[in-house]
This record gives sequence, C-alpha cells and structure tokens, in this order.
Amino acid sequence: MFNAAGKKTQVITTAILIAVGLLIPFFITSSYQLHLIIMLFINVVLAMSFSMLISTGLITIGAASFWAIGAYTSAILVLNYDLSFWIALPLATLVTGLVALALGAVIVRTPGVAFVVQTMVVNMIVVQALGQIEYLGGWGGILGIPAPDPIGTLRFSSKVTSYYLALFLLLIIVLAFAALYSSRIGRAWSAIRLNPRLAQSLGINLFRYRLIAFVISAMASGVVGSFYAHYFGTIEPGTFSVFKSIYVQIYGILGGLNFFIMGPIVGAFIMTLLPEFLRIGKEIEPILTGAILVLLVIFLPGGILSFPEKLSAMRQPSRKIWQDKVITKKDGS
Amino acid sequence: MALLTTRDLTKHFGGLAAVSDVNLDVFDGEILGLIGPNGAGKSTIFNLITGIHKITKGNVTFNGQEITGMKAHTIAQLGIGRAFQASTLFMRLTVFQNVFNACHMNYHEPAWKSFLHTPRVRKEEKEIRRKVMEILEFMGLADAKDRLAQNLPYGHQKILGVSIALATEPKLLLLDEPLCGMHPEETAVVAALINSLRKRGITIVLVEHNVEAVMRLCNRIVVLNQGKKIAEGTPVEVANNQEVIEAYLGSGEEVC
Repeated sequence: MFNAAGKKTQVITTAILIAVGLLIPFFITSSYQLHLIIMLFINVVLAMSFSMLISTGLITIGAASFWAIGAYTSAILVLNYDLSFWIALPLATLVTGLVALALGAVIVRTPGVAFVVQTMVVNMIVVQALGQIEYLGGWGGILGIPAPDPIGTLRFSSKVTSYYLALFLLLIIVLAFAALYSSRIGRAWSAIRLNPRLAQSLGINLFRYRLIAFVISAMASGVVGSFYAHYFGTIEPGTFSVFKSIYVQIYGILGGLNFFIMGPIVGAFIMTLLPEFLRIGKEIEPILTGAILVLLVIFLPGGILSFPEKLSAMRQPSRKIWQDKVITKKDGS
Repeated sequence: MALLTTRDLTKHFGGLAAVSDVNLDVFDGEILGLIGPNGAGKSTIFNLITGIHKITKGNVTFNGQEITGMKAHTIAQLGIGRAFQASTLFMRLTVFQNVFNACHMNYHEPAWKSFLHTPRVRKEEKEIRRKVMEILEFMGLADAKDRLAQNLPYGHQKILGVSIALATEPKLLLLDEPLCGMHPEETAVVAALINSLRKRGITIVLVEHNVEAVMRLCNRIVVLNQGKKIAEGTPVEVANNQEVIEAYLGSGEEVC
C-alpha cells in the first residue's frame, strides 16, 4: 500500500480502465448492451458503498434504500418543483446524506448483527413507504421522468451521452473514494475494521468514523439514484427491494471484501454481464447467483481478487512459518 | 503529585465483584507494578481506567481531571496509552502500517482536509511517517518494518503492541503482561526497553506475572487478591509482607 511499485500499478490500472471506459461506445453500438454497461456502472457504485461500510466493520443489507431515496428525491424535485436535473442531482445527494445522518445516528451505535437487521428493516420500510404513499407514486412508481437537461448542444436523451455521464459520475466517485481510503480517515476505518478495541485505545471515535462512512456511502448511492431516475425515466418501488441490496452485497463479496474499489468493479462486472452472456432467463438467474456464491465461499472466501494471493500461498506453503528468533536490540538506546 | 488516582474503584460482573474498593495512586515518572494471582482483577482495573468497562462505583482521576465514565477514545486522547495482554495488533498489516495506523491523534490538519490531500496534509503525513520510523528504531523493530504483524515472532509482536501504544504519545502507559511467555534473554531486552521509556518521561503501570522482573523493574508494587488491594510499597516491603506471601507468593502458582 505504501511502496512505489504498488502505486505505479494502481496508476496504470486506473489509466487502462479509464481508456477502456472512454472507448466502449465505439465498439459496442447495440443500445441494449450499452444499457447493460450503464446499469453495471450503477451497480459498481452501489457495491462500492457497501464496501465502504465493510471497511469500517459494518455489514449492510440496505444498500438499495439510499439508492431509492436519491432516485425519488431527484424525480420529485424535477417533476413537482421544476428544478433542473443539474440542481436536483446535488440536492438529492444532500437529502440522501441527511437522511443517512439522522438514521445512522441511531443505528450505527449498535454495530454487529443489530446493524445488519436494522439496515434490512429500513430497506423494507423504504420500499413499503414508496409503495403506500400516493404522493410518491404508489406501487406503480413515477413515470415520465425527463432526461437530464441538455448542456449547450450536449443532449442526454441518447444512450451514448447517458453512458458518458454515467462514466463521469463513476469516475468522480471512484476518485473520491480512493482519496478517502488513502487519507487518515481511511486509516482510521481500517483500524476500526481490523481491531475495534485497539482502535478505540488509539483515540479513534468508533461511532463518529462509522457514521462518516455511513453518510458518505449513502451519498454515493444517492448520486447514482438521481442519475438512474433520469436515465431510465421510470422508477418503481420494486427496483429498490431488499433483493437488490442482497445482490449488491454479492457484488462486493464476489470481487473480494478486502478490495474496496476493485472488488466492487470486478464483482459487479461479472454479476451484471455473466447472465447476459450465458443468455439465462431472469427466472433462473438467482440459481446461478446462489451457485456462484456457494462455490466462492467454499473455494475462494477472499473473493476473486484474492486469487493471486492464494496461489502464491499455495506455492510456498512454508512462507508463513518464521523461525522464532531471539529479540536482539542494538546497544546505546 | 499523583498522575492517576482511583478511589473506591469497584466493578461487579453480575454478582461477582471483580474489583472492590481499590485505591491506587500512580505518581509521575514511576513504574508501578500491579501483581496478584489470576483473577485478582488486574486486567479489569486496566479496562476500568481506559473506559472499556463501565465503573460500578468509585472514580478515576487523571492529571487532575476526573475521567470516570468517559468514552475509551476520549481517555486515550487525554494521554493514557495501553498495550494489550493478548497480542492485540492489526495482524494483516505490516509493522510499519500498524504504527502508522496508530498515529490517529498526531494529525493537526482537520480530517476533511486530509481527503483533499493538500500540500500541508502531505507534509504532515511525511512527518508522521518519520515519527513512525523513529518509534520503530527506538523499539528495535526498524528491520522488521515490512513484515506482516501476523508473521512476527511472539516477542516481537509484544514489542509491536507497545510501539502502537507509544504512537499515541501517552503520558501514562498501561502495559498488560509485556513479559508474558518470554524467555530470560527476551525478558531482559524488554525490561530494558520499559526502563528507557520511563527515562523518556512516560509513567508506566505494569501488570505482570514474572515476579522477579517486576521486583527489579518497579519503583513501587501494588498487590491485589480477589479484587482487593492487600499490600502496597517498595519491592522489598511487598516481598516481606506476610499477607502477600500467603496470598500470592506462598501459593507457588506462577501461571501465565
């Protein structure tokens, strides 16, 4: 993490991914395939916000709830208050963050199983509320949400421009997350995840740092929620169910829980595109998902990205055994 | 002047009194030994002082300030550092990262700025890296800085635990069995380290089963038995105390 070689590979990986991202619309012209990739980007962000909570030792089954709040807030602001998408996007993000702050102040205090259950219940409540409240569109959802307003001659009604907008949002979020993980905030998170008791004795306020992660991850989901509403044009409560949250969790686990950015990218990539390539129907997709998950937990619990590590550990089984040597210390201190 | 005082410190776990009415005074610049048979309440006292357990009754004052009932991280921020009994480390990180992660309180630039990685933040981080290396060199771990904590030999892990506590720049350092499980040669090295920490101006409270080392290392010793303080004084006084001999030394138990 701290050596120059690691940083260099990181920079190269990032550059390659950005280049591939920019070139995709030149090779993939089918609008359905582009749609899949846009949905993939959204899934990546949702999985990254799941992983951000993992990085502080919290597990959420409610990732979709903040995605929903972002989407609905943005749609209502544009439809009922005639705001431009470009104002609704930051406002929806802010609202999502505030909801997360109020909610987190209550549920982040009890980490562990209580937190897991509470996030799931919150997700169910959000879906129920969206379905029951007529003002929010009811079970039928909200239809006819306009595409983002054009900037100059740049229109966002086509798949290609939507794709680039999604890519842009994804990149910003990835960069912000990377900056956070490499800052003292990220180091405090890692201390909390690896050893909460020790972290506390180092003066780290567990509740405050977990709450920061909770709010920031919710805001990232809010951003893609707002984008999704205006990209897809229709939102309905069923999209944001607990099942979506569980899928988001699987993206993170599949990629690898120790890789807070690359894990979600790899996991969401496979889980979003594999069923399409195999041309499996939606009905049997959960079977495939379940099978992948079971195989993973048995053979590669660290996720796909932990494979090289595992391989090198298998090659040198004695690597971890060190000769217990006598502690010696230089004289003069 | 006493740096840390506890008055009537009491802790009940259900009906069990783990610690009852313990009065401690830790004076500035000393090494105080806390000994007693297993279950005497030594580690519990550490947990009470550092705010990990809630105090049932009594109070704790540190540096003239009452800290009873404060949160663990606030107490750490006031200057009480702690090295844990079991090798409580960030096992999956390197030695350097362990101490770097522990430097949480050394930052002066606000946390939200660190996210922007401004030049001042980078400069501060560079200074902190230098400080981490200083600690590692002082503790004799500089050569092992890139090894994973989980791959270190046991003795080094214990020293790393102390290094982590040092990163918080404590005024008072609580060491929970730093010599446990070490052979004589290692014991001598770690004892010398503890002594040099005291010379740096850190007051130390030591829980330890190795009575011989405690006798040599500590200025004063407090003996606990079944949650109560039964003796206090210089090593010589304590060693000749009849009650201590009966309760602890005489029992012949020396289990780590």
